[in-house]
Amino acid sequence: MGFLNPWFLGGLIAVGLPVWLHLLKRHKTDPQPFPSLMFFEHREQSSVQHRRLDYILLFLLRTLMLVLLALLFASPYIRRLTPKGRGDKLVVVAVDRSFSMRTKEGTSSRLDLAKNEALNVLSKLGPGQKGQVVALADTLQAMTQQTADPGELRGAVSAIKESDARASFGELSRYLRTLSESTKTPLDVHLISDLQKSGMPPGFTDVRLDQDTDITFHEIGKPQPNWAVETVIAPQHIYDPKRARISATVTGFSAPAATRTVTLLMNGKTIQSKSVMVPENGRASAEFAGLDQASYGFNRCEIRIDSADGLAADDRYAFSVERTDPKKVLFVDDGQHPKAQEYFRAALNATPDSAFQLEPLRPDVAANSELSKYAVVVLNDLGSMPSGLEQALQKYVTAGGSLFEAIGPASAVAFPRAPVLDEAIDGTSYASREGERFFSVSDVDTGHDVMKSVERFDGVKIYLAVNVGTKNSRVLARLSNGKPLVLERKVGEGKVLAFTSDFSAANNDMPQHYAWVPFVQRSVAYLGGSGSGEQPTNLSVGEYVELRTGNEKGAQAEVQDPDGQRVLSLQDAAQARNFELTREGFYEVRTAGGKRSLIAAHANRKESDLAIIPQETLDLWKATGSSGPVNASGQGTGGEGNTMPWSLSPFILLLLLGVALAESVVADRYLRPQAQPQETKAA
Amino acid sequence: MLQRFLDPSVLAGISGLDLVAKTVVDGFISGLHRSPDFGFSQEFAEYRAYNPGDDLRHVDWNVFARSEKMFLKRYRGETNCQVSVLLDASRSMKYGSRGMEKMEYAKFLAASICYLAHLQRDAAGLIVFDSEVRQFVPPSTRQGQIMRLLHGIDQAQTGAETVLEKPFAHLVDYLRRRGVVVAISDFWENPETVLKTVGPLRSRGNELILFHVLDPQEIQPKLRGPVLLEDLESGAKMEVSPDYVTHEYKGKMSAHLEDMKSRAAGANIDYFLVDTSRPLDEALRQYLAIRAGRL
Repeated sequence: MGFLNPWFLGGLIAVGLPVWLHLLKRHKTDPQPFPSLMFFEHREQSSVQHRRLDYILLFLLRTLMLVLLALLFASPYIRRLTPKGRGDKLVVVAVDRSFSMRTKEGTSSRLDLAKNEALNVLSKLGPGQKGQVVALADTLQAMTQQTADPGELRGAVSAIKESDARASFGELSRYLRTLSESTKTPLDVHLISDLQKSGMPPGFTDVRLDQDTDITFHEIGKPQPNWAVETVIAPQHIYDPKRARISATVTGFSAPAATRTVTLLMNGKTIQSKSVMVPENGRASAEFAGLDQASYGFNRCEIRIDSADGLAADDRYAFSVERTDPKKVLFVDDGQHPKAQEYFRAALNATPDSAFQLEPLRPDVAANSELSKYAVVVLNDLGSMPSGLEQALQKYVTAGGSLFEAIGPASAVAFPRAPVLDEAIDGTSYASREGERFFSVSDVDTGHDVMKSVERFDGVKIYLAVNVGTKNSRVLARLSNGKPLVLERKVGEGKVLAFTSDFSAANNDMPQHYAWVPFVQRSVAYLGGSGSGEQPTNLSVGEYVELRTGNEKGAQAEVQDPDGQRVLSLQDAAQARNFELTREGFYEVRTAGGKRSLIAAHANRKESDLAIIPQETLDLWKATGSSGPVNASGQGTGGEGNTMPWSLSPFILLLLLGVALAESVVADRYLRPQAQPQETKAA
Repeated sequence: MLQRFLDPSVLAGISGLDLVAKTVVDGFISGLHRSPDFGFSQEFAEYRAYNPGDDLRHVDWNVFARSEKMFLKRYRGETNCQVSVLLDASRSMKYGSRGMEKMEYAKFLAASICYLAHLQRDAAGLIVFDSEVRQFVPPSTRQGQIMRLLHGIDQAQTGAETVLEKPFAHLVDYLRRRGVVVAISDFWENPETVLKTVGPLRSRGNELILFHVLDPQEIQPKLRGPVLLEDLESGAKMEVSPDYVTHEYKGKMSAHLEDMKSRAAGANIDYFLVDTSRPLDEALRQYLAIRAGRL
């Protein structure tokens, strides 16, 4: 027996207190002198002795209580044999079911061979020996609990199905460490896998094993050449099919040089085919231009190669493309700044396949237009506001629309407050020729989507800016005089972006500066919903699709898997923030915000590299879990390691409670008779 | 104010037995306003014709000068008796629960009586005893007698247990004249034995006065819990419960005191129970009341 806090045994000194009170104090009591005992009788002694007996019982109980209290604080324990000490072992059979296990070896897949090997391992389990079957991919799936039932274990092996996820040996080691720590039992691990090199984590420490974990590697399959479509670069949206371009990369893993035919398929139809020469262990690209056959909406596309290797699943690469018309941007211009529209359009159409199409309108016409059909409305420093336009804009923005307004000198004169932005306009800041000559941009919120590529507006000169209040708005850029240049405010469901100068280059040189194009494009993309925040549609298996941003409370999201089955439960549909792609194919997704998309999932191409882990690495991995031999008696080389402390505190606590109760009863019994006779006789 | 000085605990603070006796007696007499019933000065009594052998110091030479006849002058005081004080110095007298031992109280009482006798020209004597006679000062009226008595009282030490027979037998040998015998003791003895021992003195025509000195704790002990008591004289020990003391002991003690009182009265012996918590003059007042009435 040992003590976790032996210094608390010093509390046993307190036992001296009852010893002194009950024994020493009584013995040391000096007899009181009295002139004569002539009138005293000896019969009184018996009652005193009776009380002494009570005292002794009370003394024993109190002493025991103090001893137990000191023991309780000292936390006594005894050492008991651990499962290791008893010679127990838990057999863990880990079957790799990653994407690469789909590789054919003759007529069987590697996964089938692995399952047969797993059954073979399980057949060697001794009677009563516990085992567990786990399936390995990017995450670990425990197929059984720890059980000694061979039937259950074999059934679990049979139930393992192939996966499109990549293998992660780091995840396996992490699970084994946790299992070892929780069970305190030596593990006998059988890893049945193709032992892909790509399954190893970047750091070797991630695969370290706890002591007493013995891992045995069962290699399935043999190295073989493999060609795969490694990447496909395709636009997420196409607005002009003729200008769309798709690029595919074909890679040969441990493969000789070969010519491969690359085929582009769209909605099941072959669009184009090309032959590429793939060098030995190298890559080749194939370019496809024009997607005339793309229909409006989502198109299921695929790049295929004719590799005829063992892993056919990576010979195709799925991706989705959405064909749509460019979004309309309403440019409200009163004609006072003719160059502004020219500059804005030039910036917006600077890319070959622009997602936006500018539509200029005069303010009085715009007031009678249906604004909801425009992705963004741009106000170009209006000097007057026709009746109904401001209300229409307010309603449009509140309902989710986006407004980009230039508040120049004309607006400063015409409006006391910025339209829709609803911030006070307090005159203008004019850089005089005698003074500063121009303002520069001194403070930019580069974390905002709009400001990411404007290079901090370096070199931009602002000669006149309107002083707009910032009470309810977020300032994205400030001038050197501290006044805001770019502001943003959320109004209802929509957004308003304000520029406190004009787009005509009369009061600044922004349109003639290189920051102008990214500023306009990013601003419109941000406001029109095509910015960097848009959900990508081509993802790898294991990645997540965002279903809601947090603002859509109660709205239902919907996901259909490649088989057309709904994969979300009702609760997940109402609450889940994201969804994991678990297999290859096309997923139809409707987010809680109502946005529909077609997500193409493809296996991680690291799985296409079938190179195996070098033997030295496997030996090192195995060595991390070695702990020396266990002798016949079940005692390992380290005696401490074979036993574990078993606390006695709960039992002492129970005993202490019992003793305390008994002490109370005895003490009460002692005190009661002393008081009663006095009262009786006094009465 | 005087009463405060007569408090036993105050007297105990006064050093010197003679001073204590003077304080008690002088103060006490002052309090009596010189009662006419009490005369103790040298009062002329008669003339007697000189006979050969008479002490020439008592011849009234003035009468001889006028008449050439020798007459002896006699005084009333010379007709007084002997006062013998018997002081118990047994170990039980060492007990005291209020800071003052019974022995000390008894010494004050004995000294006061001796001093009072000295003022009256009584021939005072002293016997200090326990199981034996430890000290003996024969009764006398000679000069310096009072100092001898006080010294004897002061030197008295508690010794062995009380045995009344021996000292009283000794006293009988010395008391040839009739007188007053004052016995000061706690009388931890059977009342029958006590009276049997002191009774012969009374039969010789002596006035016998018993001062029964007891501590209040002896009369009515107060115990908080069971205690172990040790007999001061025999050394025997006994555990005693408060219940017993409160009820049975009290009854037995009362019976004992009543027995002492009734037996003393039956033997025509003056008996006084002296509580050491009471002022000393109370005992003296009782003593003098007897003397005034009988002498």
